[in-house]
Amino acid sequence: MDDDKKMHIISKDTFAEFINNLIADNSLNVVGVKSKGEKFAFGPLESANQLRLDYDVTLLPPKKYFLPQYEERVTYDVATGFKAKDPKESKSNVIIGVHPYDIMALLHMDEIFRETKSDPYYLERRNSSIIIGTNIQKMSEQCFAPSMGCATIDYGYDLMLTDLGEKYAIDVGSHKGADLLNKYAKDVKKAFARDIHAVGKKKMDIVNMTKQKFNFSSELIPEMIGRFYEKDSFWKDHSEECLSCGSCVLVCPTCYCFDIQDIPDLSLKKGQRLRTWDGCLLEDFAKVASGENFRDTKANRYRHRYFKKGKYLFNRFGFVSCVGCGRCSSNCLPDIANPVNLFNDMYAESLKSGIEIDSATVPDISIKTGTIIEFAPKLATIVKKVPMTANETMFELKLDDETDLGHQPGQFVQVSVFGVGEAPFGVSSSPTKKGTFELCIRKLGNVTSKMHTLKEGDKVGIRGPLGKGFDAEFLKGKDLLFVAGGLGIVPLRSLFNYVLANRKDYGRVILLYGCKEPRELLFGDEILGLEDRDDVEFMSTVDWCPEEEVWTSNVGVITTLIPKVDFDPQKTYAVVVGPPIMYKFVIKDLKSRNVPDDHIIVSLERRMKCGVGKCGHCQINQLYVCKDGPVFNYSDIKGVPEAL
Amino acid sequence: MKPKVAFFDFAGCEGDQLQIANLEEEILDLLGQVEVVSFREVMKEHSDDYHIAFIEGSCTRQQDEERLKQIRKNASVVVAIGSCATIGGINSLKNYQNLDTVKKIVYGENASLFDTYLARPIDAVIPVDAYVHGCPMTKEEFLHVVKSLLLGKKPEIPNYPVCVECKKNENVCAFERGEFCIGPVTRAGCNSCCVNEGTKCWGCRGMVDNPNENSQKEVLIKYGLSVDDAIGKFKLYFGWEKKK
Repeated sequence: MDDDKKMHIISKDTFAEFINNLIADNSLNVVGVKSKGEKFAFGPLESANQLRLDYDVTLLPPKKYFLPQYEERVTYDVATGFKAKDPKESKSNVIIGVHPYDIMALLHMDEIFRETKSDPYYLERRNSSIIIGTNIQKMSEQCFAPSMGCATIDYGYDLMLTDLGEKYAIDVGSHKGADLLNKYAKDVKKAFARDIHAVGKKKMDIVNMTKQKFNFSSELIPEMIGRFYEKDSFWKDHSEECLSCGSCVLVCPTCYCFDIQDIPDLSLKKGQRLRTWDGCLLEDFAKVASGENFRDTKANRYRHRYFKKGKYLFNRFGFVSCVGCGRCSSNCLPDIANPVNLFNDMYAESLKSGIEIDSATVPDISIKTGTIIEFAPKLATIVKKVPMTANETMFELKLDDETDLGHQPGQFVQVSVFGVGEAPFGVSSSPTKKGTFELCIRKLGNVTSKMHTLKEGDKVGIRGPLGKGFDAEFLKGKDLLFVAGGLGIVPLRSLFNYVLANRKDYGRVILLYGCKEPRELLFGDEILGLEDRDDVEFMSTVDWCPEEEVWTSNVGVITTLIPKVDFDPQKTYAVVVGPPIMYKFVIKDLKSRNVPDDHIIVSLERRMKCGVGKCGHCQINQLYVCKDGPVFNYSDIKGVPEAL
Repeated sequence: MKPKVAFFDFAGCEGDQLQIANLEEEILDLLGQVEVVSFREVMKEHSDDYHIAFIEGSCTRQQDEERLKQIRKNASVVVAIGSCATIGGINSLKNYQNLDTVKKIVYGENASLFDTYLARPIDAVIPVDAYVHGCPMTKEEFLHVVKSLLLGKKPEIPNYPVCVECKKNENVCAFERGEFCIGPVTRAGCNSCCVNEGTKCWGCRGMVDNPNENSQKEVLIKYGLSVDDAIGKFKLYFGWEKKK
């Protein structure tokens, strides 16, 4: 063939030969749609006869070849540390029979896995695989791809097949596709106008095959759903029968949330770190080690799924993250996951309440592709371990490669404990401290408890620094009011000590620090020593003081200290870090003292797993705490309902 | 020093201990990490000096409670293995019937010689530190729990239903094959082994923390079960969980 971009015709016999030639080449992994019981699934092909291009929908989308259900990404050995698997070893496939909606889904995922920090394993598989698409011959009962504009596609495939009776039309979509056809297929003929015409007609017919239709244009979805966030009864009614089984999201071609697990072998010295599919509909998806579950009702989880697809990803990427394959609805036993039903109900309710909805304006988005994600932690040595309270210990760590951590105040690191797993911790030392850095860790879950048994000289893994910290540069010249509750002092200390180290660059420095009772006071000597400094105003409080303990300062919750300080709200920036419950009350009091919203800075805690804005666990509405935070300006999150 | 472990059995079929005896090559790796001091199914020796006690079977008699309490006293870690021990198991089926009738069915005219009470899981009698669910438990999960304990880690057992593993394994849903499956309320961790083999989930691992039982029953009825049969689906393994 001399012209790549043309449409070709191949007889069905010759097509079967083409497939068999591909299978015969042992350097290729050839997979295609096969029958599985009365359903269909992508699987390895042994012969062209197995290929069922007349399928309606596969059980799982071809996503499994790019983001496998279980994937080993890092191995570890207590003796040598962590080693990331070479992305080049990722298996590539020739995938035959992909429907257009599933191709569209891969295009969505490409942007997600490329954005900001790119996933080398996913991208390597995408670059090295070949997609042979097929136009839909039979549409599943639940498919609404036409409504989403994904029933046919003109891009994203290497070859695209259309069944024309005794022959296939093959549309060549890439040089890779052309080369494949050249090398493995014989008797490929040029398509005539009648064939191109026939393909056009077929594609038009496909659009009319659907039984599932929106009563409105799908372009209204982002704007419409945005108005339903607070309609609690709507979400509660629709999710009442939810089994929290996650089926809808696990079979979704555009869902990508994942979990990370460490699997030790029986030597207990070596093991692997797996990435595996997870889902935001599952009960514990947003639960943190302290036991707090940030999305603890069926209705909240159910709503999150629709918002993530209909609104959050639209805001970030400009697409509604649904291609209309219908797998969610065909896999939902109580039959509550069908987006067509939900959005039609929403539209009906909008009409009833007289809400007029415009098409959402597609946001102006420039997607930054950035650095490659580092999956393997660096080794660090515990150089000092200082117990602070019964449950909290300060660990001073030094990276084995002798580099500085290089963090901003407020950033966090992911700490790996061999055989146990990884957990996020805010760095507690100022970047002005060179050579080592400090973490103050409360004994709470598996990683933290094991961490407490480690000794000076023991090794842990470190990924990071991660996230967005405090903007210490911007705060220069400002008066600073630090408000710390309990463990909140830990990340806050990184900024506080930075400010003290550069004291002349900042205005007034006020620290209000509260904890439950005197014995829980962290950094006791350091903090109480502040009372002797005349360039720092310091006040502390405890919620209560048991009889056997001594406390001479204030007793009461942290907000009881706020009326005791005098500050100029226009010149002051408040840096507030504490347990979730504290923010609401402290912010209310600050606002009543006329502190502008954008003068309030907070740091949030969520279940951060990947730490790079992919796995979905730490998401609060459209924001990823690990990537967009953990430090946020209050003015940026006051309209984010899940934040505070 | 390797931690000493001991195995104990109460009312059950010993199928879980058999899984351990069947570990094949992995048993050698395991024996590199622990010292077995008592295991009636495979050895004659017995010692009361152990750190970790693995207990199979449910407690079905008052007098078994003393033995359990003694094990708890001797061991620093108690692990319940298999459904009978973790959730009461199929022994709890008898809990739905009159106990005198049950005794007569089993022991006939000698019924008065035997004592029995409601079948219950081990944690209804003594505190349990870790669970290996399943009927029988799988070797894989047993090793997962043992490795976690040896690493000083609380074993992570899923709190999501079997459907998650079924979907990852790309099974055709049992309901689509005309089966009545209890997987949507059953705790995963078995890698959906029964459905993988073409059958359905019976619920041997017990329910997730917050099962939506009403919805599960409605699904069973929607797919053709009578209300009684739908309720019956919860009885096979969930007898104790439902009664308590």
